[in-house]
Amino acid sequence: MQGDTKHLSPYVYFDERLCIGCYHSVRVCPTRAIRIRNQKPLHFHEHCIGCGECIRVCPTGAMRAVTSELTALEKDHISVALVSPVLYSQFPGIMPEDVLNALRRMGFQHAADMSYFLEMFQCAADEFIARNRISHQAPWPLISPVCPVVVRLIAFQYPSLLPHILPIMRPVALMAREVIRRIIARYGVTKEAITLYYINPCPTKMSPERLTFHHEQPCIDKVLGINDVYPELFGLLEKMQKGDRPDLPPDQFSYGVTGHSLIWGMSGGEIAGMKSERTLAVSGLKETIAYLEKIEMGLFQDLDYIEFRTCPEGCVGGTLTGIDKYLSKNFIQKAMLNMGLKKRVCQDEILCLYDEGGFQAKSSLAKLAQRFAAQKKPLSIRELSEIDNILEKIKGTDCSACGAPDCKTFAEDLVRGKASMEDCLFMKKAQ
Amino acid sequence: MSSLKKIFPVNKKDFIHAGEASIYVKNLLKSLQIDPKIIRRASICGYEGEMNVIMHGGEGSLFLEINPDKVTLDISDNGPGIENIELAMKQGYSTASERYRELGFGAGMGLPNMKNNSDEFAIESEKGKGTRVQMVFYTGGGGHAG
Repeated sequence: MQGDTKHLSPYVYFDERLCIGCYHSVRVCPTRAIRIRNQKPLHFHEHCIGCGECIRVCPTGAMRAVTSELTALEKDHISVALVSPVLYSQFPGIMPEDVLNALRRMGFQHAADMSYFLEMFQCAADEFIARNRISHQAPWPLISPVCPVVVRLIAFQYPSLLPHILPIMRPVALMAREVIRRIIARYGVTKEAITLYYINPCPTKMSPERLTFHHEQPCIDKVLGINDVYPELFGLLEKMQKGDRPDLPPDQFSYGVTGHSLIWGMSGGEIAGMKSERTLAVSGLKETIAYLEKIEMGLFQDLDYIEFRTCPEGCVGGTLTGIDKYLSKNFIQKAMLNMGLKKRVCQDEILCLYDEGGFQAKSSLAKLAQRFAAQKKPLSIRELSEIDNILEKIKGTDCSACGAPDCKTFAEDLVRGKASMEDCLFMKKAQ
Repeated sequence: MSSLKKIFPVNKKDFIHAGEASIYVKNLLKSLQIDPKIIRRASICGYEGEMNVIMHGGEGSLFLEINPDKVTLDISDNGPGIENIELAMKQGYSTASERYRELGFGAGMGLPNMKNNSDEFAIESEKGKGTRVQMVFYTGGGGHAG
């Protein structure tokens, strides 16, 4: 990290030289963690849930995702790329197998596709829903644990919904566990000799220790954004298109890509093919928040399962993708026509593993929720009235010129002694 | 003793903004950090009340009063009123049209739900004039009363 850059949170870092002190990031932050003071942003980094909205809207690129750097792959390690299905959709017209081969040409010893584990996850989710409809152990609707921003948003703002999160290990964790098992068996090495790289479109998954909230060990070692590998992969794939195809032996750690895997990148891909018809797919941060608010009021209890993705259109709309989400979607839809939605997992095997507890997630979300709660100081009834009085006085337009995302937040900052009335343009005019 | 009073308009057939008042109330209660279970009960009642006004009522409002020891919700409208309150309070009784039922409303649980989830419940209605439902939730004076 250079002198002028600093980590704002585990997920975002900030380059002060590029910052022009605008209000874009202030306004989009769902946890209201950013203010502008003296033309520079002030961050309440402990409120960051890693949604990446600030990275998305920052006009100068001052806000960036914290990623593992793609340094030379360590030669003495067995390096494995775990591939998010979104990666394939970044290269329209190219077969997923070629993308995996290009990763191996980049230097990864193995490139593993996720489809099989997505199927496993879905099968386990179906089973949990079916059993729970009988036992009534968990509250309805269940919420998908797949999008890490959603689970963190719940821990931050809707802790009463934590029991709704499906307690099944996420596909990436199922994948990491199996890949490690097979490599140890094949090469006779220890876990320490293996480096797992997770290539995905999302800043919130970037630091490996942040990934463990809904996982069991072992997990990922390093995390790369799709945009970190996109340029090099693009070059290699162009070469391969032109006929420069070195003979790579088939990768025995690849499980074969299916349409099932590709569709996961899109909103609705997780619930496609689930047994229950009482499912819903919601994408976008605002939309997700609107639904969580309503679930908290006891609505949607007639639904079994809701897939939430805070990125628009699902993971194809992630912050760290290489191409536009609509182009990705178009390619996925075309590829699906060719590949179909067939499933391969053997249901009996999955049920066996399920009964052995092989899908149980050890969640640390309750702890995270406690950490978030400890940072929030309650307001008193008198302070709430004061906030109302201030808002009445300002009659503002949420202009953000004071450095807060909206007038209500400004009034709250004022009451908490974190802002001064002179910061408000409307009050200045009135004087 | 400090108290906070707020009034939110609720209008008939306004499905787009349905629930907004209750969400606002819920977030106010959250910033006071009162017991999440009480917040849940109060917001369920607020939402049911809002929906009743939107589906059956006329122009109405949701009035909120927060005191150190209790939260009061007072939802009233100038709609058609309820002909038979006793019947309306029965679980499963509903006058909602087929269209509402298709939208997932009108299961006849609204008023009973509100009664079950509040600590005090009072309803008054006059045919042709409107309906008023008052609910009280005791917070035990915990949290930050000040």
